[in-house]
Amino acid sequence: MSTERGTTSKNFPCGLVRRQYLWQLGAGFAGLALTALLEGSGFFDRIGFSNEGSTSPLAPKSPHFRCRAKSCIFLLMNGGPSQVDTFDPKPELEKHAGMAMPADKKYINSGGRAVGYLTPGVRPFRPGGESGIPISDFFPHIREHADKLAVIRSCYTDTHAHGSALIQMNTGKPLMGRPSLGSWVTFGLGSENQNLPGYVVMLDRRGGPISGQPNWSSGFIPAAYQGTLFRSVGNPILDLQVPSTFGSETQRDQLQLLSHLNAEHLEERSGTDELLARIASYDLAYRMQSEAPEAVDLTQESQATLDAYGIEREPTAEFGRNCLIARRLVERGVRFVQLYSGGGHLEETWDAHESVEKNHSRHASEVDQPIATLLSDLEQRGLLDSTLVIWGGEFGRMPFSEGVNKPGRNHNPYGFSMWLAGGGVRGGTVFGATDELGFAAVENPVHVHDLHATILHLMGLDHTRLTYFHQGRDERLTDVYGNVCHDLIS
Amino acid sequence: MLNAPPFPTENLMLRCRSIIWRSGALAAALGLPIASADDTPRDPWSRVAAILSERCLECHASLNPSGGLDLSNRDGWERGGDSGPAIIPSDIDSSFLLQRVEAGEMPPEKNGQLQKLPDDEIDRLREWIRSGAYWPLHQQLDPFEISSSKRGGRDWWSLQPIDPPAVPSKATAIDDLLQSSRASFGLSLAPPAPPRQIIRRLYFDLIGLPPSPEQVELFVQNPTLEEYEKIVDQLLDSRHFAERWARYWFDVARFAETNGYERDAVKSHAWKYRDWVIDAIHDDLPFDQFVTHQLAGDEIVERNEHSVIATGFLRLGTWDDEPNDPAEYVYERLEDLVHVTSTAFLGMTVKCARCHDHKFDPISQMDYYRMAACFWPGPVEARQREWNGGPTSEELGFDVLGWTDIQREPPPLFVLIKGDVHRPSAVAKPGSLSFLPETYRDFRDADSEAKTTLRRLQLAEWIVDSKNPLTPRVIVNRLWQHHFGEGLIRTSDNFGFNGDRPIHQSLLDWLAAELHRQQWRLKPIHKLMVMSETYRQSSTHPNFDDQYAGDPSNRYLWHAQRRRLDAESLRDAILSTSGLLDLRVGGPSFRPAISEEALEGLSMKGNAYQPSSEEECRRRSIYIFAKRALTVPFMATFDVCDSAIPTGRREVTTVAPQALSMLNNSWVVQQSQQFAKRVCDGALQDEGRVRLAWRLALNRDPRKSEMQAALNHVQSIQDSDRSEPSELRAWASLCHVLLNTNEFIYVD
Repeated sequence: MSTERGTTSKNFPCGLVRRQYLWQLGAGFAGLALTALLEGSGFFDRIGFSNEGSTSPLAPKSPHFRCRAKSCIFLLMNGGPSQVDTFDPKPELEKHAGMAMPADKKYINSGGRAVGYLTPGVRPFRPGGESGIPISDFFPHIREHADKLAVIRSCYTDTHAHGSALIQMNTGKPLMGRPSLGSWVTFGLGSENQNLPGYVVMLDRRGGPISGQPNWSSGFIPAAYQGTLFRSVGNPILDLQVPSTFGSETQRDQLQLLSHLNAEHLEERSGTDELLARIASYDLAYRMQSEAPEAVDLTQESQATLDAYGIEREPTAEFGRNCLIARRLVERGVRFVQLYSGGGHLEETWDAHESVEKNHSRHASEVDQPIATLLSDLEQRGLLDSTLVIWGGEFGRMPFSEGVNKPGRNHNPYGFSMWLAGGGVRGGTVFGATDELGFAAVENPVHVHDLHATILHLMGLDHTRLTYFHQGRDERLTDVYGNVCHDLIS
Repeated sequence: MLNAPPFPTENLMLRCRSIIWRSGALAAALGLPIASADDTPRDPWSRVAAILSERCLECHASLNPSGGLDLSNRDGWERGGDSGPAIIPSDIDSSFLLQRVEAGEMPPEKNGQLQKLPDDEIDRLREWIRSGAYWPLHQQLDPFEISSSKRGGRDWWSLQPIDPPAVPSKATAIDDLLQSSRASFGLSLAPPAPPRQIIRRLYFDLIGLPPSPEQVELFVQNPTLEEYEKIVDQLLDSRHFAERWARYWFDVARFAETNGYERDAVKSHAWKYRDWVIDAIHDDLPFDQFVTHQLAGDEIVERNEHSVIATGFLRLGTWDDEPNDPAEYVYERLEDLVHVTSTAFLGMTVKCARCHDHKFDPISQMDYYRMAACFWPGPVEARQREWNGGPTSEELGFDVLGWTDIQREPPPLFVLIKGDVHRPSAVAKPGSLSFLPETYRDFRDADSEAKTTLRRLQLAEWIVDSKNPLTPRVIVNRLWQHHFGEGLIRTSDNFGFNGDRPIHQSLLDWLAAELHRQQWRLKPIHKLMVMSETYRQSSTHPNFDDQYAGDPSNRYLWHAQRRRLDAESLRDAILSTSGLLDLRVGGPSFRPAISEEALEGLSMKGNAYQPSSEEECRRRSIYIFAKRALTVPFMATFDVCDSAIPTGRREVTTVAPQALSMLNNSWVVQQSQQFAKRVCDGALQDEGRVRLAWRLALNRDPRKSEMQAALNHVQSIQDSDRSEPSELRAWASLCHVLLNTNEFIYVD
């Protein structure tokens, strides 16, 4: 019998608390008598190795079934790239260039913008790899990896506004308040490295995505599964740096005194598991202080690697750095990494209202080489097979312009392209299709729920079984929807 | 070893099962004479009725039955659905229902698991059809009538009248009622909490702040029950009590001061609602009025600016000013209003019946729409963006955040098949919900001179009707949860089938009845709870291990629950300890300073976030501006809940980022320095300073060993530091450690 959240087990003294220990044997400030304290108390006997194995909320858990992907990197092209200019060539648009959108194609004109004329893709497409998947000249480097990609040309979503569409791409529904994909994945699988956050989000320096934090929120599942914002320089996470007032040596002294005081406090009390858990969390925090900066310390990388990601030159420096850090995080066992390309509003993102040529040139040139390098780097290190890479925006763009002298395109939730690679994905695949104009998904349409179901499946999770009981209902990422696209899976 | 208490859920399941299989019980529930022998035709029928009710009616009944087949009455199965007649009396070979059931196709598989009926049930169906499929004239099966192993019916415990036990004394009722169940499982109460423990607990519990060293010493010198009671009365009278307890209500009311989504626009005057709640709690506004003002403060006779501010409750939800399909978004807004109302006041998940009848509770889709119809005349449809989804101040009559009807004669609200805007079916009348038959009523049309439809007022009247058992049970349980750490019903937002089962129902009912006797005033209930021995016991039990084996989750309250300070209390306690806390009450919210790194999550950089002045930032956490796109990181780390949906019970997690923020966060470090100044100013000698630091942070004197360790710490930092004024730095380090101790953050 399931019950309301927080009391899933009636056998524990305080709901979930007893199960939510972050513990780890080993180093840290163990020398400061911490581990001895925990061992002496029988903490590990009672908690650490219960019949469920570990009880940390982020301890690794078995997937529902065997799978290849262990980690996921989601490259979110914030703002919505245009499909007919990138991965969905539409020769028909050439023929109809300058004509009005056919009246039988119904759509919501987002934001009430000017409606121009059908406009062909601005860059030529060329086949890539042996599979010959056509990819436009916006992505010459990614094109070299065409055989690794499964391009879905028939994605669609429910909403035309950035705010709600981003929320939907991340949480499944265009309404605030639900857990994000990364939260579900870490809830289902935990994370392999307890010294780093299990779910990392790296934003574009130009700003966060519209709607902000709810995009990486854990919604109604415990806060331990929310995304952690990670910066690519300096101290990657908040409050990681030892305060300058004290310095590391003083902090060691502080922790020693803290251990002492906490130990005396324990002695006088019974039923102390939550106290021990908190002591253990300090041990972990201490190790995070050294391990997290190490993850963003690129001095250990070769010059060739730095060059390949384009880290020391523009326009690739920022996204290249983020891609390399994503690889380093995945190498270190982080479960879910999300990188945003584009931040803030309008032309600072892929939101090409003014000019697709201008906007996409700018953003594609920032990400093309870094993404291509990420794919080859993962492959060379033998990580591609265990890392699912996802590329796409919150929606696509219209086949028509915004006016005669305004070669931009408005939002289009009815059809757009995304691609998957690595992690058990069948490379060299094109799946689904939009209509002749690239407007709406018509063949094998893939809703965001289907995409999510497929991503979870690739991560070894059955989207119908990955549930969290909340306010009377077994909630799922895919609600009551979602079909796994088996054609995308090798 | 003690006898483990029975697992309540299983018990109840057994009870339900036995009810459903005792055919007589079903017959009785259907208002039929109970069959006395097996050979009447009624008896095989009532057993079949039980099978149909439990196995089929979830889909094959009510407004829009699956496949068009309604199995709840004879007409339904004779006529059949899309595949023709389901049952042909006396013809087992042609009865389609039997074929599907025998093939295991019905009930349909669930999560990949076949749901084939047990053989004996199939045999019963077959026999019944073979013998002519007897069905009493005009008999209608009602799947909501009685509970089964799969769902709750109208006989569900929480829907039954409040049935308080007789108690010898009001003062000891809580303890007496708990003691009898404790004793039957061999559990005993922990000893009384020592004076320092109980006084610290009481302060944090009632006002969310630690006692001052003077307040502690005063009580420790005279730790009598009379003195304790005096303090209880003082604290209950304090405005800080209202600030503390308003916070719990804000979680339930999904309180925030912005809309969320792209623009995350500010809901102007939301802080007035916040102050209204604080005032209402401080004045002990009777809970029935507390409900009525929030749902219908614009419709009551004594309507004034304050009562209209209370309707801000209906405006607090997220609001998308640019929804994909405005026509559909209307129904999202109705769901928000139905959900917050039914969760906050009734503890029922009515929203689950938006697209179909509730799968677990006796709530029909029509019920959902009856409640939704109460909000339908309000501004649920898209209007001008700058009105933020609410009425204009002209419509409202005041320049506040509030709600009122904007249509006196709203169009009919249609029940939508599967929630699909394009599939309207029956018209829903505003009215009460059917799970309380005795109070079931359609709401009347308002008189012609009324300005509004009075639907919400009638909804509020039904919610606080003396015959509605949910409302008092739900609120006294919320109070219990916050005083004791867990509710008597641990799922405080869900009193339905999927909620926790009552193992202390007599106590719950006694408290609910007491609330009625107190004319809905909550402070007397608070007082009864914190005066009880159960509340005043220690968190440590001399026979902990034995008792733990018997009742590991402390369901019988044999020790006090040690609890971590929630985010607000933690921040307030740090400020209080450092001496900087500003206790000004009310007024517009302040924006705490947030590090630049943390602001990166905002899409509008730079101009978007302006922190308030340093003085403002010393105010209590209840006054933090609640921005949906950005929760203050320190608060988020310590489990502040998401404000998109109502939350009656926050999760408590223990994770490394909490330790990082207590160790490294610059605000915590500043507070430690301030705390150190206070300590250094307050005493000249080192030992005196250590003592003062302990009294301020932990409400006690240090033990010898602690004194020594503290002095060593200060000394060693001073020794290692040849630079500038190292004294304060050393004391700040010690103070910082104290703020990090388990003793500071966990209240026994």
